[in-house]
Amino acid sequence: MIENNVNYSAFQKKIVPYLDGSLSREETAEFEAFVLTHPEFESQIKNKQNEIQLIKEMIPVALLSKESQESIETEMKASIYNLLKEEPQGLFDIIRIKWEDWLNR
Amino acid sequence: MKRKDFYQLVLPLTEKLYRFAYTLIPDDLQSEQLVIDGLNAYLLKEKKMIARKEIDLNSKKEMQILRRMVFKGILRYISDIGVRRSSQLNEQMKLNMPKDFKPYYSLEPKVRLVMSLRYDSQFTVEEIEEIVQMPRFEVIEKIHNGRFLLLNDLNKGITL
Repeated sequence: MIENNVNYSAFQKKIVPYLDGSLSREETAEFEAFVLTHPEFESQIKNKQNEIQLIKEMIPVALLSKESQESIETEMKASIYNLLKEEPQGLFDIIRIKWEDWLNR
Repeated sequence: MKRKDFYQLVLPLTEKLYRFAYTLIPDDLQSEQLVIDGLNAYLLKEKKMIARKEIDLNSKKEMQILRRMVFKGILRYISDIGVRRSSQLNEQMKLNMPKDFKPYYSLEPKVRLVMSLRYDSQFTVEEIEEIVQMPRFEVIEKIHNGRFLLLNDLNKGITL
């Protein structure tokens, strides 16, 4: 009986790490096997899942307006254009790069 | 990789990058700037690797893998710059922080960063370790602290 309790509390301590994804693969498999053989354990997992849902709701989810999205994408394109240089691979590539350079003047 | 291929990889990430930046600094313009600065830092550091990388635009799987790699790479620099900037802007943030998210923005920047990566972006602890360049025990400790503080705040609200 004592052994069972020790086992139970050890797995109880693993609920949050399990939901957090911080258990190793072996520990995760062991935990899932334990849950399968202890259906009453599922309610405790459910409680922790609810807790995590509450935490998620406390983190802001910001959305970009259409104008902001356009402006940020233009800046991102400019950054990529300025910082990422292409190595031309042949005559057509040289012409293409020159053409892009001319368009982005 | 050509520039236009890199555009195709990065542009669909704009919304996610902005959303992440906003969890560090609750200001529209500052968050936009943070995304650009993170991208610039990533490009400066990784441009040789990007230029060498071959990409098959027809392979969805390859695109997904590369996009995730680039996403994590940019997040790494946004995290680094964002945490420093967030500490500098602390006083200004106290005045402008969105009321509904006060408990979250009251967390220290590194805790906020890890909480956002774990619970909003849904990264695993291993991935967070890689993005924020922190040892695993520190990532886990920060997740636990953040969760404890947020839930504590919520319970206080309920009992009051």
